[in-house]
Amino acid sequence: MTRGSNLRRLLVAMLGVVSFAAVACGGDQEPETQQREPGQKITLTFWSWVPGVDKAVDLWNSENPEVQVKLEKIPAGNQGGYAKMHSALKSGEAPDLAQVEYQVIPEFLLEDGLVDLAPLGVGDHEGDFVEWQWQQGAFGDGVYAVPQASGPMAMFYRADLFEKWGIAPPTTWAEYEQAARRIRQADPNAYISTFPPGNSAWFTSLAAQAGARWFDISGDTWQVDMDTPETIEVAEYWDRMRQDGLVKTDPDLQNGWYADLQAGRIVTWVGAQWGDAILMGNAPETAGKWRVAPIPQWSEGEQRSANWGGSSTALLKGASYPEEALKFALWLNTDPESIDLLIAGGYGWPAAKGAFSGSALDKPYEFFSGQKINEVFAEADQNIDKSWKWIPTTTAMYENLNQGFRAAVAGQGSFADSVRAAQTKTVADLKAKGLRVSEG
Amino acid sequence: MPATARRRKALVPWAFLAPFCVLFLLLFIAPIGYAVYQSMIRVERTGPMGLGGAREVFGGLENYSRALSDPAFVDSLGRVLLFAAVQVPLMIVLATVLALLLDSASARWPAMFRAMFFLPYGVPGVIATIIWGFLYVPGVSPILDALSWLGLEVDLLGPSTVLWSIANIVTWAFAGYNMLVIIAQLKAIPGELYEAAIVDGAGPLRLVWHVKLPLVRPAIVLTTVFTIIGTLQLFAEPLVLKPLSTAISFTYSPNLSAFNEAFNTNNQALAAAEAVLLALGAFVLSFGFLRLVGRGRR
Repeated sequence: MTRGSNLRRLLVAMLGVVSFAAVACGGDQEPETQQREPGQKITLTFWSWVPGVDKAVDLWNSENPEVQVKLEKIPAGNQGGYAKMHSALKSGEAPDLAQVEYQVIPEFLLEDGLVDLAPLGVGDHEGDFVEWQWQQGAFGDGVYAVPQASGPMAMFYRADLFEKWGIAPPTTWAEYEQAARRIRQADPNAYISTFPPGNSAWFTSLAAQAGARWFDISGDTWQVDMDTPETIEVAEYWDRMRQDGLVKTDPDLQNGWYADLQAGRIVTWVGAQWGDAILMGNAPETAGKWRVAPIPQWSEGEQRSANWGGSSTALLKGASYPEEALKFALWLNTDPESIDLLIAGGYGWPAAKGAFSGSALDKPYEFFSGQKINEVFAEADQNIDKSWKWIPTTTAMYENLNQGFRAAVAGQGSFADSVRAAQTKTVADLKAKGLRVSEG
Repeated sequence: MPATARRRKALVPWAFLAPFCVLFLLLFIAPIGYAVYQSMIRVERTGPMGLGGAREVFGGLENYSRALSDPAFVDSLGRVLLFAAVQVPLMIVLATVLALLLDSASARWPAMFRAMFFLPYGVPGVIATIIWGFLYVPGVSPILDALSWLGLEVDLLGPSTVLWSIANIVTWAFAGYNMLVIIAQLKAIPGELYEAAIVDGAGPLRLVWHVKLPLVRPAIVLTTVFTIIGTLQLFAEPLVLKPLSTAISFTYSPNLSAFNEAFNTNNQALAAAEAVLLALGAFVLSFGFLRLVGRGRR
């Protein structure tokens, strides 16, 4: 009998501990926001991975002794940075400010992770920013992000090799395919580029360039339209290039790819403006041999570009001094000195209006054979489909596409199949989040 | 008086057990209970961005059916099972052979070799994978360069090879550790048993087969169970190799899939369901194995 009651007591105690632990883990307390007293010293925490941002933060700190910003470098968003932010939000330990790319702003909104800046008067600064980039953070009556930079796209190419082989830099995708063929003949080790099956953000931009518009919203119903004829055309184009052995299928932005660039085994990159720093940093031996041309077109004579990447500074829920944090976010992304420091690090194309002329961008680059490459990107920036929208499950959508591309490269299905499968899966993902969706 | 004394006596064992019980409950039972609870949650939202608010409702087993109806997740389960089917026997045979070699009478410098075989275990798994990754990437790897110089083009990160490239890293990292567990048990075998066997005319091979192996059986069983659980929980190696290989997706292993759902796409409930399914699988396989060897003994 004593044994029985002891056991029961033990079980009751166990249950008590379990439920206590469950409550402790599930706490969703939101820290209160505070008002800074005049003269009070405060410190804001800022999570970012952008190269060069440390110098801009140092400049702010030297000019604002009362409002100090503590920069904590985190891994890039899709490499674990967002996972870190989401866990911090869950545990109520989020930093005041964070780097949030445009494509994941809706994801953070869905998790109720961003501070609405409209009540803090951010609207007064709308005119300081490029319209479409401002819109990336505006939903309904709220504004949830201060735009920082974008990535208008163009084509980096090895001018010296194209000249040596007597190939003209392609201006259309049809010419790009012909050039790919001639490069394979000219040098058995060289390819025009790689199709990275694990980087569907890049593919998404190419689909956007072709005129696809995957997502839209009417009322509170999402529309998902990934498998449009434009997208399928882009998918089939790269599938053909892959099957004909005209492109590699290795990952981009990795050691192997850098080695290929360095050795002239890959001779073009359809990339974004922030790619200049990547080329300069990872293929230093090719200095002076590159140039930049507009992105190839689907129809001759057109001038359509696309955006790849783009980032904002946002206030995470729980920011203790939102007014000061917003002030810093606005300064970081509009102050000319700050912008020049960020440009030096290679943060992308400024979201601040009119920041190009006279800035550190407006100069000839030795690495690119003395070309003023940003004139090409300035032009590209004018030719972007600015109505593109992101869904609250963009990260999963990228992975849906990646899965299909990987399978196709491994011999199962085609790239077009991948797009169709991603359409179905993305609709399911949105529904599983408890959102309304209509297809096509 | 005698009643209180008896009661006090009854509490003594609990007092000794308390530190273990509390930690076990807090760090083991509670998280499992929380995961099971989470796996049955469904989130309902209103408004296009969920700005209308979200609430958690009981969803029953729907996260489990969602996980099991996702072909990518089911594939990942199949993949780790295949991995375990090859990796477990390979690991155990290798560890046992290394242990027996170092324990044999004719071994030279056994202490040095033991330390060498064990050394990789001291390298954290992530770092080991990064270093192996350099050796796997074409254009960077000296090994691949040498092979291609000999006319051999090998893709160690392709869809059909990358699993075995991972197996190589896991074997490199853990074979020495498992070997050490088996050696420890070999050292505990009393010398008289060997003397008796030799007097009875046993050669070195018979000594291994009839004396050593039966006596280190518990160590082999233990390392097998650890290896089964370890292989099913495959995580760090594919995560680190993922950017290098086009064949590794976020659904490559069940643990990777749960990690991705929990932290990248914020489906904690689905992640919890996947984690519980994987735990059940590991439980069934480990205890199945223990029952199997237990029956063989009787």
